[in-house]
Amino acid sequence: MKKTTTAGMPRRMFLGAAVTAAGLALSGCGGGAAPAAGGNVELNFVYWGDANRAKMTDAAIKVFEEKNPGITVKSEYQDSGPYADKLATRFAGGNPPDVLNMANRSLLEYAQRGTLADLRSMPELDLANIPDTIQSRGEVDGKLFGLATGVTTIGMVVNKTITDQAGVTIPDDKTWSWEDYAKFATEVTQKTGGKVYGAGYDVATETGPILFARQRGEDFYTKDNKLGVSEETIRDWFQYSVDLREAGGYPPAGFFEQIGGSAAQSYLAKGTVASQIIPINNYKAYNEAAGGNVVLLRMPGETTLERRGYSADPSMLWSIAAKSKHPKEAAKLLNFLVNDADGAAETLTQRGVPINPEIAEAIKPKLSKDDTAFVDMVAAIQEDELAPAYVYPKGASVVADTLKQLATEVEFGRITPADAAKTFLEKSNAAINK
Amino acid sequence: MSVLTKQAPGAAAALGAGAPGRPSRGTPRRKNQRSGYLFLLPWFLGMLFTIIPFFASLYLAFTDYNLFMEPNFVGLANFQAMAGDPRLWQSLKVTFIYTFVSVPISLAVALAIALVLNRGLQGLAIYRSVYYLPSLLGGSVAIVMLWRYIFGNDGIVNGFLSLFGIQGPAWVTDPDFSLSTLIVLNVWTFGSPMVIFLAGLRQVPTMYYEAASIDGASRWRQFRSITIPLISPIIFFNLIMQLIGSFQTFTQGYVMSGGTGGPADSTLFYNLYLYQKGFTEFEMGYASAMAWLLLMIIAIFTAVNFIASKFWVFYDN
Repeated sequence: MKKTTTAGMPRRMFLGAAVTAAGLALSGCGGGAAPAAGGNVELNFVYWGDANRAKMTDAAIKVFEEKNPGITVKSEYQDSGPYADKLATRFAGGNPPDVLNMANRSLLEYAQRGTLADLRSMPELDLANIPDTIQSRGEVDGKLFGLATGVTTIGMVVNKTITDQAGVTIPDDKTWSWEDYAKFATEVTQKTGGKVYGAGYDVATETGPILFARQRGEDFYTKDNKLGVSEETIRDWFQYSVDLREAGGYPPAGFFEQIGGSAAQSYLAKGTVASQIIPINNYKAYNEAAGGNVVLLRMPGETTLERRGYSADPSMLWSIAAKSKHPKEAAKLLNFLVNDADGAAETLTQRGVPINPEIAEAIKPKLSKDDTAFVDMVAAIQEDELAPAYVYPKGASVVADTLKQLATEVEFGRITPADAAKTFLEKSNAAINK
Repeated sequence: MSVLTKQAPGAAAALGAGAPGRPSRGTPRRKNQRSGYLFLLPWFLGMLFTIIPFFASLYLAFTDYNLFMEPNFVGLANFQAMAGDPRLWQSLKVTFIYTFVSVPISLAVALAIALVLNRGLQGLAIYRSVYYLPSLLGGSVAIVMLWRYIFGNDGIVNGFLSLFGIQGPAWVTDPDFSLSTLIVLNVWTFGSPMVIFLAGLRQVPTMYYEAASIDGASRWRQFRSITIPLISPIIFFNLIMQLIGSFQTFTQGYVMSGGTGGPADSTLFYNLYLYQKGFTEFEMGYASAMAWLLLMIIAIFTAVNFIASKFWVFYDN
């Protein structure tokens, strides 16, 4: 009968609400614990990632603890999806972690609700070496709420073993157009007898259309935190995948069952697709998973459309909770994460190219060949003049979900790209302007 | 809440009344009552932990609570917004299809297997356990993951179909098929209603069947005229429990779609959408309002069932 009374809510929601209620009560009457003077301070540090990232992070934390006696760091990690859910409850429960990972698309939601600390107000954090362009990606209403964990961008990876066997030449990635990529992908499928599909990128991940929009002279997200992408651009983005599928370069509907998993589970690693778009800080993992002969290329269309689509983006952000009981120590940890060469020697480019150029330079000799290729590409891209990029607006997570839904509808031919684009704009604008 | 708690003892009474062999009406019941309450004690204790959030959510349903800021009273705004929310309607559609397809099928399967097992098989305990096992596992994350692989493009199901030259669809990723895999999963977990059916079947006095066969009644006739009426309270109980459980489905949809309710919202169960609203979009007020709508839907369905039960449920006393 217990089931009957809990009707209407999953159990964990009940718990969440209970924690919430308790949290509200506490924040109402609690006076804030006095900072521990001299005693041992325990910092709560949470991030998302996999076991490999955790191993590197743990090594760095150890260095931090050695350098800062009196501070111990209790860390925890999850996959990005569960992490995001859990983070929300942590904040809502009035017991947020001290230092945490923040997704680009969530920054504004958290910052505008007053849950994050202004990092510029923390003297322990040295921002002298951090470029303005990086800082701007964590700024909301003139305050700094997020600091990039590192810089990355997207790129095309191609399994050269497959293309060599098929006898297909990879076009010059400095000048290739989207048409060139389509031609290349279709040729791979043809010459492998349909065993391998030439293209296997994810239509629904927003980084793709963001770059595509920028190439066409539009800002997907604008400076004033609105949606700037046009209906035509979204339509063409969808249409491109539809055409490529018809031509044979892209797998049939329903082929991708688990996009966004780890490199080892990727279709590139399985050898059923020859190319994929990835955040290029993962290049090493993909290369190792797919047999070691994967080449890293720039995205198509960079020189053939209106302007460059690339931007050097925070792979994710670090933030400090406004309600942290140990803001000083938290700032010390954050400072360590971005400015300490010994710490960076453990984490290397796991979360992107370090944002402090001195640190990026210092770890260079320690990098593997693949990671060096990644760092070099980020540097090379930044040599050109890039279009500006902005903080994601509130509602960006709804935009991402909407894109995913519509991409599936288009994939199975349940809706035309034109209608999908129209719906995308309607739903996204509604979510952002709410 | 009030509707359901009033009905809850009713359901228990219905079951108790239907199970033959309980003490007849005249015997002193005080001692029995005391042990009954003792058995209920864990539930009362558990309720302490749900009663506060329960009423908190009722209050929050009328606020714009967003997890981080103090809730403001907004009256019926959440409910008004729900009426115009296409994803909410989609989630209702998914949940209703799932419930109305899978509950009758799984009850029929459970009853059929129970009938077979009731024929005095050797090793009944083993069979019973084997058939019950999926019920324990069906809601678990691991089994749903396994389901993904079984119904995957290279999975067992499509492998089997290809033996006959049939190109199976993308069961998991095609929006037209994804919900059906979850319905199959739910039917597969017929174990707990089956065990209850089995208990009921074993209580049907064999003398009725003997009398009927002397009168020349066929097996089918016996099933219809003896078995069904005598176990109708059990069918009723199972129906109610399965309906409620099915309206509250969450895990299957969450795991199968990686939390999105995809592909294209085809597995967006009501509770999954509620969860997304609360924890992904932080609209906890809205999510609370959704929870109360579901409570009302379940209450209405349960009430309708209780009223309808007067016409087909037969109490043998």
